Amino acid sequence: MAEPNRTPESSGEKPDFSNVRSGSSSTAPSPAQTENTYVVKKGDTLSKIAKDHYGDAKHWPKIFEANRDQIQDPDLIHPGQKLRLP
Amino acid sequence: MKLNHVTAVLSLCFVLAFASTACQKSQTQTSENNTGTATEQQGTANVQVERVDLGKHVGNDNQVTEHAETFTPNETIYATVVTQGSATTAELKTRWTFQDGQVVDEVSRTIAPSGGAATEFHVSKPDGLPVGKYRVEVFLNGSPAATKEFEVKRA
Repeated sequence: MAEPNRTPESSGEKPDFSNVRSGSSSTAPSPAQTENTYVVKKGDTLSKIAKDHYGDAKHWPKIFEANRDQIQDPDLIHPGQKLRLP
Repeated sequence: MKLNHVTAVLSLCFVLAFASTACQKSQTQTSENNTGTATEQQGTANVQVERVDLGKHVGNDNQVTEHAETFTPNETIYATVVTQGSATTAELKTRWTFQDGQVVDEVSRTIAPSGGAATEFHVSKPDGLPVGKYRVEVFLNGSPAATKEFEVKRA
Protein backbone atom coordinates (compact mmCIF):
# COMPACT_ATOMS: atom_id res chain seq x y z
CA MET A 1 0.00 0.00 0.00
CA ALA A 2 1.43 3.33 -1.06
CA GLU A 3 2.26 5.70 1.71
CA PRO A 4 0.48 9.02 1.24
CA ASN A 5 2.49 12.23 1.00
CA ARG A 6 5.76 10.48 0.33
CA THR A 7 8.68 12.76 -0.29
CA PRO A 8 9.69 12.91 -3.93
CA GLU A 9 13.18 11.89 -2.90
CA SER A 10 11.97 8.73 -1.22
CA SER A 11 9.72 7.69 -4.08
CA GLY A 12 11.90 8.87 -6.93
CA GLU A 13 8.82 10.34 -8.60
CA LYS A 14 8.21 13.92 -9.58
CA PRO A 15 5.34 15.30 -7.52
CA ASP A 16 2.13 16.06 -9.35
CA PHE A 17 0.72 19.52 -8.71
CA SER A 18 -1.90 19.43 -11.45
CA ASN A 19 -4.82 19.48 -9.03
CA VAL A 20 -3.60 22.33 -6.86
CA ARG A 21 -6.37 24.75 -6.04
CA SER A 22 -5.62 28.42 -5.70
CA GLY A 23 -7.27 31.78 -5.47
CA SER A 24 -6.94 35.31 -4.22
CA SER A 25 -8.87 38.25 -2.86
CA SER A 26 -7.98 41.78 -1.90
CA THR A 27 -9.19 44.61 0.24
CA ALA A 28 -8.29 46.86 -2.68
CA PRO A 29 -10.80 47.17 -5.50
CA SER A 30 -10.09 45.81 -8.93
CA PRO A 31 -9.51 48.39 -11.64
CA ALA A 32 -12.48 48.92 -13.89
CA GLN A 33 -12.34 46.90 -17.07
CA THR A 34 -9.53 44.78 -15.68
CA GLU A 35 -9.60 41.03 -15.29
CA ASN A 36 -7.46 38.62 -13.36
CA THR A 37 -5.40 36.05 -15.16
CA TYR A 38 -4.58 32.40 -14.66
CA VAL A 39 -1.80 30.34 -16.19
CA VAL A 40 -3.02 26.92 -17.31
CA LYS A 41 -1.31 23.95 -15.74
CA LYS A 42 -1.14 20.35 -16.89
CA GLY A 43 -4.41 18.60 -16.14
CA ASP A 44 -6.49 21.77 -16.00
CA THR A 45 -9.91 22.03 -17.57
CA LEU A 46 -12.13 25.07 -17.87
CA SER A 47 -14.54 23.43 -15.41
CA LYS A 48 -11.79 22.88 -12.88
CA ILE A 49 -10.55 26.45 -13.21
CA ALA A 50 -14.11 27.74 -12.85
CA LYS A 51 -14.63 25.64 -9.75
CA ASP A 52 -11.38 26.85 -8.20
CA HIS A 53 -11.95 30.52 -8.93
CA TYR A 54 -15.72 30.90 -8.85
CA GLY A 55 -16.62 27.99 -6.60
CA ASP A 56 -18.74 26.31 -9.24
CA ALA A 57 -17.64 24.36 -12.33
CA LYS A 58 -20.71 25.40 -14.30
CA HIS A 59 -19.27 28.90 -14.70
CA TRP A 60 -16.72 27.59 -17.24
CA PRO A 61 -18.49 29.28 -20.19
CA LYS A 62 -17.58 32.68 -18.72
CA ILE A 63 -13.90 31.81 -19.02
CA PHE A 64 -14.41 30.35 -22.47
CA GLU A 65 -16.19 33.46 -23.73
CA ALA A 66 -13.54 35.76 -22.28
CA ASN A 67 -10.81 33.83 -24.07
CA ARG A 68 -12.37 33.05 -27.43
CA ASP A 69 -9.38 34.69 -29.07
CA GLN A 70 -7.14 31.87 -27.87
CA ILE A 71 -9.51 28.96 -27.19
CA GLN A 72 -11.31 27.41 -30.14
CA ASP A 73 -12.34 24.19 -28.39
CA PRO A 74 -13.38 24.48 -24.73
CA ASP A 75 -12.21 20.91 -24.19
CA LEU A 76 -8.72 21.77 -25.37
CA ILE A 77 -6.53 24.15 -23.38
CA HIS A 78 -2.79 24.00 -23.09
CA PRO A 79 -0.35 24.36 -20.18
CA GLY A 80 1.17 27.82 -20.18
CA GLN A 81 -1.84 29.56 -21.69
CA LYS A 82 -2.62 32.77 -19.84
CA LEU A 83 -6.38 32.98 -19.48
CA ARG A 84 -8.41 36.01 -18.55
CA LEU A 85 -10.76 35.40 -15.63
CA PRO A 86 -13.64 37.88 -15.87
CA MET B 1 26.29 113.35 -8.61
CA LYS B 2 28.83 110.92 -9.92
CA LEU B 3 28.48 109.01 -6.65
CA ASN B 4 24.72 108.76 -7.14
CA HIS B 5 25.26 107.37 -10.61
CA VAL B 6 27.60 104.66 -9.29
CA THR B 7 25.10 103.79 -6.56
CA ALA B 8 22.34 103.50 -9.11
CA VAL B 9 24.41 101.13 -11.29
CA LEU B 10 25.32 98.97 -8.29
CA SER B 11 21.68 98.85 -7.23
CA LEU B 12 20.66 97.78 -10.72
CA CYS B 13 23.28 95.01 -10.71
CA PHE B 14 22.03 93.83 -7.32
CA VAL B 15 18.45 93.71 -8.54
CA LEU B 16 19.47 91.79 -11.68
CA ALA B 17 21.52 89.31 -9.65
CA PHE B 18 18.58 88.70 -7.27
CA ALA B 19 16.19 88.25 -10.16
CA SER B 20 18.55 85.77 -11.80
CA THR B 21 18.77 83.69 -8.61
CA ALA B 22 15.03 83.76 -8.21
CA CYS B 23 14.61 82.65 -11.78
CA GLN B 24 17.00 79.71 -11.28
CA LYS B 25 15.08 78.70 -8.16
CA SER B 26 11.87 78.81 -10.10
CA GLN B 27 13.35 76.60 -12.83
CA THR B 28 14.48 74.07 -10.23
CA GLN B 29 11.06 73.91 -8.73
CA THR B 30 9.51 73.45 -12.13
CA SER B 31 11.90 70.62 -12.87
CA GLU B 32 11.04 68.92 -9.59
CA ASN B 33 7.38 69.28 -10.37
CA ASN B 34 7.90 67.74 -13.79
CA THR B 35 9.64 64.78 -12.20
CA GLY B 36 6.76 64.33 -9.82
CA THR B 37 4.28 64.45 -12.64
CA ALA B 38 6.19 61.83 -14.61
CA THR B 39 6.19 59.51 -11.62
CA GLU B 40 2.50 60.02 -11.15
CA GLN B 41 1.83 59.22 -14.79
CA GLN B 42 3.33 55.77 -14.37
CA GLY B 43 0.35 55.01 -12.15
CA THR B 44 1.98 52.16 -10.28
CA ALA B 45 5.24 53.63 -9.00
CA ASN B 46 3.65 54.73 -5.76
CA VAL B 47 2.74 51.22 -4.66
CA GLN B 48 5.16 49.17 -2.61
CA VAL B 49 5.04 45.75 -1.03
CA GLU B 50 5.41 46.34 2.68
CA ARG B 51 5.51 42.71 3.79
CA VAL B 52 4.29 39.20 3.09
CA ASP B 53 2.72 37.11 5.84
CA LEU B 54 2.26 33.35 5.68
CA GLY B 55 -0.37 31.55 7.67
CA LYS B 56 -3.17 29.04 7.96
CA HIS B 57 -6.11 31.42 8.18
CA VAL B 58 -7.00 34.98 7.22
CA GLY B 59 -9.62 37.30 8.63
CA ASN B 60 -12.19 39.37 6.80
CA ASP B 61 -9.54 42.04 6.37
CA ASN B 62 -7.32 39.48 4.59
CA GLN B 63 -4.73 39.75 7.35
CA VAL B 64 -3.23 36.46 8.51
CA THR B 65 -4.77 35.45 11.81
CA GLU B 66 -2.64 32.37 12.40
CA HIS B 67 0.94 32.87 11.28
CA ALA B 68 2.90 29.80 10.27
CA GLU B 69 5.87 28.70 8.23
CA THR B 70 5.25 24.99 8.66
CA PHE B 71 2.09 23.32 7.39
CA THR B 72 0.58 19.87 7.09
CA PRO B 73 -0.24 18.47 3.64
CA ASN B 74 -3.98 19.06 3.80
CA GLU B 75 -3.90 22.61 5.08
CA THR B 76 -4.55 25.66 2.93
CA ILE B 77 -1.54 27.96 2.79
CA TYR B 78 -2.24 31.67 2.73
CA ALA B 79 0.18 34.40 1.72
CA THR B 80 -1.07 37.89 2.42
CA VAL B 81 0.70 40.66 0.56
CA VAL B 82 0.44 43.97 2.37
CA THR B 83 0.95 46.96 0.11
CA GLN B 84 1.13 50.68 0.70
CA GLY B 85 0.39 53.41 -1.76
CA SER B 86 -2.10 54.25 -4.41
CA ALA B 87 -2.34 53.40 -8.07
CA THR B 88 -4.92 53.16 -10.77
CA THR B 89 -3.64 49.68 -11.53
CA ALA B 90 -1.04 47.37 -10.04
CA GLU B 91 -0.50 43.68 -10.71
CA LEU B 92 0.45 41.37 -7.87
CA LYS B 93 1.55 37.87 -8.76
CA THR B 94 2.59 34.95 -6.61
CA ARG B 95 4.64 32.06 -7.90
CA TRP B 96 4.68 28.99 -5.69
CA THR B 97 7.53 26.57 -6.27
CA PHE B 98 8.50 23.22 -4.81
CA GLN B 99 12.00 22.44 -3.61
CA ASP B 100 12.88 20.78 -6.93
CA GLY B 101 12.07 23.99 -8.78
CA GLN B 102 8.75 22.74 -10.11
CA VAL B 103 6.17 25.50 -10.27
CA VAL B 104 3.23 24.54 -8.08
CA ASP B 105 1.02 27.41 -9.11
CA GLU B 106 0.96 31.00 -10.29
CA VAL B 107 -1.80 33.39 -9.31
CA SER B 108 -2.09 37.04 -10.22
CA ARG B 109 -4.45 39.75 -9.18
CA THR B 110 -4.78 43.27 -10.49
CA ILE B 111 -5.74 45.87 -7.92
CA ALA B 112 -6.38 49.58 -7.75
CA PRO B 113 -5.30 50.40 -4.20
CA SER B 114 -5.78 53.72 -2.49
CA GLY B 115 -3.63 53.52 0.61
CA GLY B 116 -2.89 50.35 2.51
CA ALA B 117 -4.25 47.09 1.13
CA ALA B 118 -4.06 43.40 1.96
CA THR B 119 -4.23 40.90 -0.87
CA GLU B 120 -4.34 37.22 0.03
CA PHE B 121 -3.28 34.36 -2.21
CA HIS B 122 -3.87 30.77 -1.24
CA VAL B 123 -3.07 27.28 -2.43
CA SER B 124 -4.18 23.83 -1.36
CA LYS B 125 -4.23 20.33 -2.79
CA PRO B 126 -7.19 18.01 -2.25
CA ASP B 127 -5.01 14.92 -1.92
CA GLY B 128 -2.37 16.74 0.11
CA LEU B 129 0.67 18.77 -0.77
CA PRO B 130 3.84 16.71 -0.97
CA VAL B 131 6.04 17.14 2.08
CA GLY B 132 9.09 19.27 1.48
CA LYS B 133 10.24 22.83 1.21
CA TYR B 134 8.46 25.46 -0.82
CA ARG B 135 8.94 29.05 -1.80
CA VAL B 136 6.46 31.75 -2.71
CA GLU B 137 7.74 34.68 -4.72
CA VAL B 138 5.76 37.89 -4.94
CA PHE B 139 5.98 40.12 -7.99
CA LEU B 140 4.70 43.66 -8.25
CA ASN B 141 4.13 44.72 -11.83
CA GLY B 142 6.44 41.97 -12.99
CA SER B 143 9.33 42.85 -10.70
CA PRO B 144 10.34 40.65 -7.75
CA ALA B 145 9.12 42.26 -4.54
CA ALA B 146 9.45 39.61 -1.82
CA THR B 147 10.12 35.94 -1.20
CA LYS B 148 8.97 33.67 1.61
CA GLU B 149 9.86 30.07 2.31
CA PHE B 150 7.83 27.47 4.12
CA GLU B 151 7.75 23.76 4.71
CA VAL B 152 5.10 21.07 4.52
CA LYS B 153 5.55 18.29 7.03
CA ARG B 154 3.56 15.21 7.88
CA ALA B 155 0.80 15.75 10.39
